[in-house]
Amino acid sequence: MSADFLKDIFKQLDKDGSGFISADELQEALSNGSWSAFNPETIRLMIGMFDRDKRGHVSYENFGALWNYVTDWQKCFRNYDLDNSNSIDRQELQTALTSFGYKLSAELLDTLIKKFDRIGAGHVLFDDFIQCCIVLQTLTTAFKAHDKDMKGVITIDYEQFLDMVFSLTI
Amino acid sequence: MSYGYNPYAQPGGAPPPGAFPPQQQQQQSPAYQWFAMVDRDRSGKINAEELQAALINGRGEKFSSHACKLMISMFDNDASGSIDVYEFEKLYNYINQWLQVFKTYDQDSSGHIEEGELTQAFTQMGFRFTPEFINFLVKKSDPNTHKEVSVDQFIVLCVQIQRFTEAFRQRDTQQNGTITIGFEDFLSVAIGCSY
Repeated sequence: MSADFLKDIFKQLDKDGSGFISADELQEALSNGSWSAFNPETIRLMIGMFDRDKRGHVSYENFGALWNYVTDWQKCFRNYDLDNSNSIDRQELQTALTSFGYKLSAELLDTLIKKFDRIGAGHVLFDDFIQCCIVLQTLTTAFKAHDKDMKGVITIDYEQFLDMVFSLTI
Repeated sequence: MSYGYNPYAQPGGAPPPGAFPPQQQQQQSPAYQWFAMVDRDRSGKINAEELQAALINGRGEKFSSHACKLMISMFDNDASGSIDVYEFEKLYNYINQWLQVFKTYDQDSSGHIEEGELTQAFTQMGFRFTPEFINFLVKKSDPNTHKEVSVDQFIVLCVQIQRFTEAFRQRDTQQNGTITIGFEDFLSVAIGCSY
């Protein structure tokens, strides 16, 4: 992606000309393929990843990485949306997660669909799919840090547990 | 909610006179009166938006939509996204328990408390956390200045901590403060109990 092209996108997104992309500005720019607004929680998670000074916005310096990240997710989403329905159904989600290396039970898969399907349609849209994957990634990283012998079982105390589960909430 | 003084119960104007006949005993309870004011479209149900429109902290800031959705979801048994007056009364009483604690430490009724006060509030509620963990919670709750926790964020924290603590207790079968948990169970709890 050329620097000029990126600069153009940045200028278009930065509606108030502050030199930063805020959560609202990013939300306005992204589409989930439906008429509903882009998942604010996904926006928050993504801004958080590329927000170096922890101010809730992204500077031009880090914008390229953020934009690449979004387009990578778009490619990934298209890959697993086999029927081109603009959404990932249960079967497609299972295929996607299996290819990411997860072996999840049917119950957990149901929990995921229920949790991340914001419109209650039984499948997940692009923005919800990203949220689902980031959440899984975050939790997996937290779990692995304790799973020294890689047995898939860990022993943790109360605060360690809270630390881990709170890594994504709030 | 009945945070006592100015901060919270400012539901944008009183109901029209006579709209809520006072003869029924139950409608005189604070929860019923509050419900009547919050239910702007008189649908007999309130949703997260109506709740949000009614809640303001001491600095004139709205409660986050996250907090309002969480509060509704806790008592929204049919998952309709709204609650009726009976469900609301439960929510009202539940939230008030946390607010009473918060109020004790919010000396200037600003709707915000600082780290030291949060520690005391948790202690009063029976939680003992290390300073590191409290600090972690404050940073998460206040990403900009890392200094204080707003009342709506406090409610979110309390609800989440209570849920996760319950999940932990169920698994701490020897009651020694540690659990041994598999990957899938961990994911289920973390995702299922969070909001």
